[in-house]
Amino acid sequence: MPAPRLRSRSLRKLFRKVPGGSTHIHYKRRKPKPAHCSGCGAVLKGIPRERPYKMRSMAKTKKRPERPYGGMLCSRCMRLEMIKRAIK
Amino acid sequence: MIDIGRIVIKIAGRDAGKKAVIIDVLDNNYVLLDGETRRRKCNILHVEPLEQKIDIKKNAPHDEVSKALKELGIGTRETKPKPKTQKPKAKRKTPEQIRSQKEEKKKLRDIFRPKKKEEKPEAKAVTLEEKAGLVEEKKDEHKHEHKPDKKETKPKSEKPKKTPKNEEKKE
Repeated sequence: MPAPRLRSRSLRKLFRKVPGGSTHIHYKRRKPKPAHCSGCGAVLKGIPRERPYKMRSMAKTKKRPERPYGGMLCSRCMRLEMIKRAIK
Repeated sequence: MIDIGRIVIKIAGRDAGKKAVIIDVLDNNYVLLDGETRRRKCNILHVEPLEQKIDIKKNAPHDEVSKALKELGIGTRETKPKPKTQKPKAKRKTPEQIRSQKEEKKKLRDIFRPKKKEEKPEAKAVTLEEKAGLVEEKKDEHKHEHKPDKKETKPKSEKPKKTPKNEEKKE
């Protein structure tokens, strides 16, 4: 029986084969849900799905696309936004 | 809408939202831009044309474009060419320098090598002399121990068999 603190469903179980042949369970925190576009709600590409401690160690350019509103809007919404500006 | 001198806004990519001028129409799909963006080839789909237009020659140099855009209040991206860093040239060494280098190397050799030579022979001499005496004695002992066994075992089994056959064949 695992320790009481490890019995919660908020932990992810990773079944790992150990060199001895038996399987051990590694407990890890679940990943956050993927980032979404604030305009249309689509899943954003190019944004890693990691826990904050890993995101902190990543470079800025690895965390979002290198363009205005990168990481906030999807490219389609961003283009529409730019066209709106141009018309005004 | 897309012709030379037309001012456009870039929609896509890292230059999105920046204004530029079309300098050249390369293709059905591509145009040359200059202005707030870098001077670059660009797809027409990534560009939104505006109403403003400037009189500019085809393939106008960057200076003219920047002058024309300043009147409209649009800045230009000025890329400074990197200052040329001169690589340190490898100078030929004069014969005197080469001699001094060799002498220094020789000095280093003198520092390291002779010590080893001095240390080793002394150590060897002491040990060898001691060992030699011991080894010789041991060898003698071993020889005395081993030889009789071999003589007893081998000759009995091998020699007597061989000799008679050979003698018979020869005869």
